[in-house]
Amino acid sequence: MIASVTGIGWVTATNMGCARDGDEFAFGEGPLPNIEHERLFEEPYPSFRRMGEYSKVGIAAISFALKDAEMDRWAHKRNIGVIVSTEYGCLGIDLNYYETVMREGGTGASPALFAYTLSNSFLGEAAIRFGITGKAFVVNEPCPLGLTCLRLALGSIALGECDQMIFGVNNVKHPPPFDAFSKAPPGALFFLIEKSPSEGIAPYGELRWKKSGVIEFEKSELRDLSELVGRCMAR
Amino acid sequence: MNSKQTNQNSEFHSIREVQITDATMVTALGDNLRDSWQRLLSGKTAVRRVTRFPVENYSSKYAACIADLKRCDGGSMIRPLLDRLFTEMAPVPPDSLLITATAKAGIDNLEKSQSGKPAKIEDISLSSISRFVSRKLGLIEQGFNISAACASSAIALAQGAGLIALGRADVVLVCCIDLVAEFTFSGFSALKALSPVPCKPFDRDRQGLSLGEGAAALLLMSRDRAKQENRPPLGNVVGWGVASDATHITAPDKEGCGLEQAILSSLKRAGLASEAVAAVSAHGTGTVYNDLMELTAFRKVFGKRRIPVYSVKGAVGHCLGAAGGVEVAMALQALSSKEIPPTVGLTHPMSEAKGWVSREPLSISGDYLLTANSGFGGINAALVLGKEQQA
Repeated sequence: MIASVTGIGWVTATNMGCARDGDEFAFGEGPLPNIEHERLFEEPYPSFRRMGEYSKVGIAAISFALKDAEMDRWAHKRNIGVIVSTEYGCLGIDLNYYETVMREGGTGASPALFAYTLSNSFLGEAAIRFGITGKAFVVNEPCPLGLTCLRLALGSIALGECDQMIFGVNNVKHPPPFDAFSKAPPGALFFLIEKSPSEGIAPYGELRWKKSGVIEFEKSELRDLSELVGRCMAR
Repeated sequence: MNSKQTNQNSEFHSIREVQITDATMVTALGDNLRDSWQRLLSGKTAVRRVTRFPVENYSSKYAACIADLKRCDGGSMIRPLLDRLFTEMAPVPPDSLLITATAKAGIDNLEKSQSGKPAKIEDISLSSISRFVSRKLGLIEQGFNISAACASSAIALAQGAGLIALGRADVVLVCCIDLVAEFTFSGFSALKALSPVPCKPFDRDRQGLSLGEGAAALLLMSRDRAKQENRPPLGNVVGWGVASDATHITAPDKEGCGLEQAILSSLKRAGLASEAVAAVSAHGTGTVYNDLMELTAFRKVFGKRRIPVYSVKGAVGHCLGAAGGVEVAMALQALSSKEIPPTVGLTHPMSEAKGWVSREPLSISGDYLLTANSGFGGINAALVLGKEQQA
């Protein structure tokens, strides 16, 4: 099972951007940048302002990954899938929503907030914004930068389910006591992989899922997504 | 394409057969698959007036809650529900890859913690399900959880089947679970999606959904591993498809474009024409828009043929992320007994559903059954199940 990495985008506490723009990648501590939609989109995007940090950060990083692969513009919907790994997902919105439930015995429950109390809701927003109609779901695994999302993405390409796959991580900080079990660095990091990249774009390198279960990037074993971004950008 | 072409004849000729060798579930209708199935066939419903939390301020007073589910030592109700789930399941091979599915996991503990009551915070995390199950069953690895709203467990089954088909796993345990909690009840009430009366899927007078809770576990194996383990198949997963609408995050696409695509992909994977499908286990929530969208998609796929369609949600409620797993477990019973259950709650079929849905159990002939689920985020999943074929 083989696919090429053609796009990388991120939003971290350090900065946000994409690899081909020459931006430096690093996960960092501290607050994530405030994301204004004007920075990302030329067209109006009214619902972006209403979203929580988890959704905004995720959509921004997907937007950067698509831009990096020169796939941010589209005229027809595309069979691209998205698999996102997250630790606590939209817990911040869950807390905000439940406050509206408790405030007036349930009568003030906010439908607008409830719509975003699923960790995959932002993927629906991303699907609309970027015209992507493939599979889209969230995974939760013990290692916050683990390779499950990459394995499932490679499997989807191998089975011919999607033409391209976006995979990565999306995590935001949560208030105590909910941060007690958190191991994930804040931020979002996404990759776009393709089985057959178009000629106009130079891939960062080749991923291979070997029968032994090992995933290799450019013929040496890969341990996590942080290592993948580093090795892609070192090339 | 021949209507009964099998996987070996499809373009995916190199993929491996995926068998389901064990299935168990707990719903408000029963503590095991056998009891739930018998009660479903006889048209019983578990949708009742909610007593678990105050409902006077919500648009519905009804849900299908499992009786006697007690919290213990600040743990979420997911813990006793998982304990109950595995009481009737045969031992699971320790090397199984665990894929759990949930939309909100132990969300009852978020409610408790925010109300100042003792609550184990770790139960709120979506990965808590895979942690509990892997420990409980003594699995070598924790596995991972999949969350995609009400399509969570159907997607988990699709991913598990895909990994076996590709030869990347030999045994996959899919375990799905979700609870009725005030958090979700209030949310669907705020969205005006709850029915003020027990839900009536595909009925002209349907007014919304009734929430339910439950858990299901399905053991998937490659044919070789099943033979090696001496586990006869209950059925096969022969096709799967997942697609996004890309139109709205809470409302389904009116034309059913994502569901249609998911179904077509599942049939393509199975190497089957639509004529081979004997019946459809629909998502059938009872909301005005979902049921109409589904029938639109079914008409596009099945054409003028009136294929038997049913929904179990009038009996067990909408189990959110667990819905797909519960429905697949029931569908295996339907395939095996050649009988589909009635759509409980149905009294006057909507005009678009006439000839498709029934208030009575129906006999079916054929070897394949399609299940469909859709969820927030505009996500859709379809699975094609094949009748067990003993070697």
